[in-house]
Amino acid sequence: MILTEQRVLSEIQRLTRRELRLWVQEGWVRPAMGEAGPLFDEVDVARLRLLCDLRKEMALPSDAMPVVLTLIDRLHQTRRDLHVLVEVLQDQPDDVRRLISERLRTRVSGWPETE
Amino acid sequence: MNSDPYKILGVPKTATQDEIKKAYRKLVKDLHPDLHPDDAVKQERFKAVSVAYGLLGAPEKRRRFDAGEIDASGQERPERQYYHQYAGQDAGRRYDRGPEFGAGMDEEDLSDIFAQVFGGRTGGPGRGAFRQAGQARGEDLRYHLEIDFLDSARGTKRRVTMPDGNSIEIVIPPGLKDGQTLRLRGKGAPGYGQGDPGDALVTVSVRPHTIFTRSGDDIEMELPITFDEAVLGAKVDVPTVSGTSVSVKVPKGASSGKRLRLRGKGIKGAEGKAGDQIVRLKIVLPKHTDSDLEDLARRWREKAGCAPRAELRRMT
Repeated sequence: MILTEQRVLSEIQRLTRRELRLWVQEGWVRPAMGEAGPLFDEVDVARLRLLCDLRKEMALPSDAMPVVLTLIDRLHQTRRDLHVLVEVLQDQPDDVRRLISERLRTRVSGWPETE
Repeated sequence: MNSDPYKILGVPKTATQDEIKKAYRKLVKDLHPDLHPDDAVKQERFKAVSVAYGLLGAPEKRRRFDAGEIDASGQERPERQYYHQYAGQDAGRRYDRGPEFGAGMDEEDLSDIFAQVFGGRTGGPGRGAFRQAGQARGEDLRYHLEIDFLDSARGTKRRVTMPDGNSIEIVIPPGLKDGQTLRLRGKGAPGYGQGDPGDALVTVSVRPHTIFTRSGDDIEMELPITFDEAVLGAKVDVPTVSGTSVSVKVPKGASSGKRLRLRGKGIKGAEGKAGDQIVRLKIVLPKHTDSDLEDLARRWREKAGCAPRAELRRMT
């Protein structure tokens, strides 16, 4: 799904053209640039909805946005990295996993018991 | 879960619209799923809060709810795709900050991260952190470009405009595939401090051609021939993706569907070895057959013992 600026605006009613262009210029959302203007995919559209929530529903001031977005992006990056790490750990033999689990239990409170 | 929208928002039935809005904003800040992607309880509460505010935030709907005209659940909006649902997948990597994890990372970066995770020391202490604090690579910028099939085969140049009004020239190498992404080093956003600029990532779609289709480095096309060319054999001019046509010998007695291979007339990839052009013959009769042709066909039918469908009968 690739949407033009016009299609995005009809998809997200609470978003104005002025805001959309400003946010692209600020780099808060980074659509692909086609020959006839910006092209938004579903990741961009979901991000625009989040931006609307932050700016409109939560009334976050414009100058706080870069800080908030950086933190959100870092959160997701870290989450994905952790998932990769978890997948790698899941491929390890049982005794290695048990050892890691035991170590984690001594370090992290509330870590679940293994059987 | 409680379905009374007043209780969900934590306001009395006598609350003003302003008080409702304030309560809602406070809850959204606490509960937004993109801020708590792994907290299912908060996500459920956020949904309930959204529904409740959809009802009470609009004075007319609130009046109808108070009057019992609509129920608390009737207002649910269609299921929304939240940002974190994408950001958790590879597609979300586009908005990453700082060094990547895994793909595209040199060994030093990798060992830095594992040093952090496992507490070991494989590199110098604090090196990664220093690099991040003083400088950082600029962001990659994405572009999307649609080009003609023939341009993709032969290579071309294109110019696209960036959000800030500047434009960059993109060289399309010959033989580019549909959906391929070109990385232009250093054409992305400027770096921070002494950091390098990011790259421009250009995804190119290729518009399909009416005659040619591509299969790997081979080009396929259908070649219409006349009935007499099929019977007697012929030399026919055939267009190729390079723009010049080549003379092709149609063998005597060719049937529809017969494939002729023109060596080296396909896509020339970066490695230099070109694919082939594959020509599928298709016998085409004139729109209106005249009496001469019909006579000829009738005479041929009387004496020929041709039974092309014998195989079909045997196999079914």
